[in-house]
Amino acid sequence: MQSEPGSSSHPRDDHDDDQPLDAAAMLAIVDDERRSMEKLTTSTVPVYYYVWGVAWLVGYLLLWMSWTESASPVHIPGVIAVPIFAALIVAGAVISAVVGIRSNRGIRGNSQFVGTVYGFSWTILGVAAAALGVAMINAGMPPEVAALYFPSVYAFVLAALYLAGAMLWGSIDQLVIALIVAFTGSVAPFFGAPDNYLAMSLIAGGALLVGGVVATVHNRRA
Amino acid sequence: MDELDPVIHAAARLRITAALAAIDDGDQIAFPRLQEMLGMTAGNLSTHLRKLEDAEYVAVTKTHQGRSPVTYLELSRRGRRAFEAYTDQLRALLGGTGESS
Repeated sequence: MQSEPGSSSHPRDDHDDDQPLDAAAMLAIVDDERRSMEKLTTSTVPVYYYVWGVAWLVGYLLLWMSWTESASPVHIPGVIAVPIFAALIVAGAVISAVVGIRSNRGIRGNSQFVGTVYGFSWTILGVAAAALGVAMINAGMPPEVAALYFPSVYAFVLAALYLAGAMLWGSIDQLVIALIVAFTGSVAPFFGAPDNYLAMSLIAGGALLVGGVVATVHNRRA
Repeated sequence: MDELDPVIHAAARLRITAALAAIDDGDQIAFPRLQEMLGMTAGNLSTHLRKLEDAEYVAVTKTHQGRSPVTYLELSRRGRRAFEAYTDQLRALLGGTGESS
């Protein structure tokens, strides 16, 4: 988020600001300031949606295309698809962290604690899900089962954190996306690998991108 | 009806108070961030903040981040109450049809 102090229609320092205006104008000031404060916290929300929407849509689509069993008209070698997928996920994590820290700059107190715990939750659950997967592979989980486990467990991590976000910030958008992603994570494995990747890409990735558009529109109207 | 609170009833101080009131309870905002949000000069913001501080509407916390001093601001309970009373009064003046905050 770029800060844009001059973006809203505040009366700036261009009048004698020690003087009161009429009641309606004063009330307009109150609403203006409340709105621009809300924008501070909500203007970054679409960024997360777009970043993760692109990562999932493109990443899982590439993974699906890399399987010879897939119905994809174009085959992409795994040595290309897997690193790109990994890079997209890492980029998503880095961009989310940077944007989160930037939007919180200059604010300290309760919301800083909430933001920090929320930020760490992604890493904690992400690593935990990976560790469980590795343990199950060590215990003999075959690759075609691992291909079902990983996309779904990460869908649940994302859904759980979006549910937390919905609770923390009263966001209906996040609630809807959490439900769609949780549903996708539950149902996709029934398609079997690699079609579960395609389901992840189109349904979860698509829902995130639509969420980004909805959040952008909300912010414009606010 | 009582007269409008003269501490808040000035465009610049109302903007500062309204911005601080919109921050979550229990949060503080750094001076430069508030200045950037309001688009006011540092001098102008300080002047008005002092008046709000004198009325005990704004609590000021001075601290250090590394070697540079940082000032954090928040609305005091008294300030929050005054702000709410003020906006209620404005709405009443306008016929009581204002939106809830």
